[in-house]
Amino acid sequence: MAHNKVIYGLYNDEEDLMRAVKVAKDQHLEIMDVYTPFPVHGLDPILGLSESRLHIAGFIYGMLGTLTAFLGMSWIFTKDWPVIFGGKPYWSVPAFIPITFELTVLFASIGMVVTFYVVSGLGPGVVNNYLDPRITDDKFCIAFDEHDLDASSAGSFFKETGASEVHEKSL
Amino acid sequence: MRTFEFNNRLRITLLVGIAIGLLCLGLTWFSASDDGFHSRFWSNVLHNSAFFTMISALAAFFLAASVTAWAGWYTVFKRVWESMGLFLVFGLIMMGLIGLSVYMGWNHLYHWNDAASVETDTILQGKKGFLNKGWYFFGTLVIVGAWFFFATRFRALSLQEEKEGAGDDFQVHRRLRFFAAAFLPIFGFTMCAVVWLWIMSVDAHWYSTLFAWYTGASAFVSMICLTILVLQYLRGKGYYQNVTVEHMHDLGKLLFAFSIFWTYLWFSQYMLIWYANVGEETGYFHTRINEYPVLFYGNLIINFLVPFFVLMRNDTKRKAGTLVFVASIVLLGHWIDYFQMVKPGVAHTAHELAAHDGGHHGADTKHLDAHDDHGHDAKGHSQGHDAKDHSHGHADHGHDAKDHSQGHDDHGHGDHGSFNIGFTIPGFLEIGTFLGYLSLFLFFVFSSLSRSTLTSENDPFIEESLHHHA
Repeated sequence: MAHNKVIYGLYNDEEDLMRAVKVAKDQHLEIMDVYTPFPVHGLDPILGLSESRLHIAGFIYGMLGTLTAFLGMSWIFTKDWPVIFGGKPYWSVPAFIPITFELTVLFASIGMVVTFYVVSGLGPGVVNNYLDPRITDDKFCIAFDEHDLDASSAGSFFKETGASEVHEKSL
Repeated sequence: MRTFEFNNRLRITLLVGIAIGLLCLGLTWFSASDDGFHSRFWSNVLHNSAFFTMISALAAFFLAASVTAWAGWYTVFKRVWESMGLFLVFGLIMMGLIGLSVYMGWNHLYHWNDAASVETDTILQGKKGFLNKGWYFFGTLVIVGAWFFFATRFRALSLQEEKEGAGDDFQVHRRLRFFAAAFLPIFGFTMCAVVWLWIMSVDAHWYSTLFAWYTGASAFVSMICLTILVLQYLRGKGYYQNVTVEHMHDLGKLLFAFSIFWTYLWFSQYMLIWYANVGEETGYFHTRINEYPVLFYGNLIINFLVPFFVLMRNDTKRKAGTLVFVASIVLLGHWIDYFQMVKPGVAHTAHELAAHDGGHHGADTKHLDAHDDHGHDAKGHSQGHDAKDHSHGHADHGHDAKDHSQGHDDHGHGDHGSFNIGFTIPGFLEIGTFLGYLSLFLFFVFSSLSRSTLTSENDPFIEESLHHHA
């Protein structure tokens, strides 16, 4: 990928982008990637992207949190350091539930954030190659790999679908 | 199809349902398992009337909240909530009749309504200012009457908006917003008051500051379940084609989220009482855990675990099958939730009053007969706990349930052990009564739906709703 040339067009509006993606799909053009400043509803099914598996990871992290909290507290309060609180039994399940809930949420959320950063190649100190800084602000971008589509047909596609700018860049 | 045709087939089916309900209520009255006070009959009437009144009130409330919040997603099917809110007219009639029966002393649902008990009971003395028949009867009439007034305003303004158009400055919608916003605080406070009167006060000694929230959350979830079921039925019949999977997805999210909210309240109420361990408060849970274990734990499984695990995934909220499955189960679950709020207290009151009437105040406090506590006719039993001893009395029941060798009078209805159909678990008569009330509710909702267009085309939010993406 390092030597590939990328041709990309910028759109001003998500509606324009959606229309352009549909046209590209109709013409069986191979899109390298699409970049938007915010999640655009309905774009994933048009691009034919499969459902994210992040939530499955989240569920597993959550269950880990549940088990950690519940088993941890059960061990601490019955085996490791039993203390009587307010005349209740050592193994007082109702008292464990709030903390179990909190750790479930904590594990699930932090786990999902870390997983997302790792999968997306983001993180502190990582240098990212992006096509154009404005795709994180107000521009919507479709990118083609030059191997899949040559510059002239890409240019005519962008012109036809109303892209505001067309650029080339070597990654 | 813009308007709903309430055809004869559906009409007859629902009328048969209503007839079954009436028949079951009649059978309950004459049933041998009912006691001399007709506790089973009256508690069934109270349980179902309160349940469906709360559902319709919550529909009106959520409509008002959505209008006030400038929400737009629900607009295509807002007629369903308007119709459910109008069912408050039946709420007014049913709860008014129960109020009248309490006022006239036709039943013994409430311990505080028995003058002799109140006189010797310091706790009930202290609550006399609120827990009295005047408050109950007139409070119910005024409060439910006010709710019904607002529900009719929502409906009338919505119909006016459709007829006259939204207008240049949305005059009609502004009026609707005014009424909706005014309803919210009124409903918030009065709902707590009626829930204390109707349901919490069957356990007259007990109180919980979370109870109104808990009951309200239960009714809200039931309301969402009924909305899902009604919409899915109508969509299956070819109506409401503009209600898409996106709207159903959002209803599924509400069902999921508010089931968790209900569990949160259930747990909060339980944990505070468990932790503080104040005798007056623990009696409530002691009775339910020891004598109603199926309902007590089943309640949590049906109303928390089922919606939580089934509706957790995105796709199960978008599939009609899973959504309808969960909605049906959870609706029944919250009906059971109300059942276990009402029944133990009524059974206990009947037991206590029967003991008073019998006049045999034996000295044997240890052998409290669990049989009595289930609301059987307990006349003539030796029964020795005075009103102040309430929570201790409770504590003993669970143990004695297994080995009460104490002779009890045979009134022909035998001993059901620790299970007592109609009290510790709903019997066929209860389920039949539920079907009757449900049919009445649906009959009313469908007939109001058939009297206007299904979608208000002039609502300012209609476009947003038609293009809703969850």
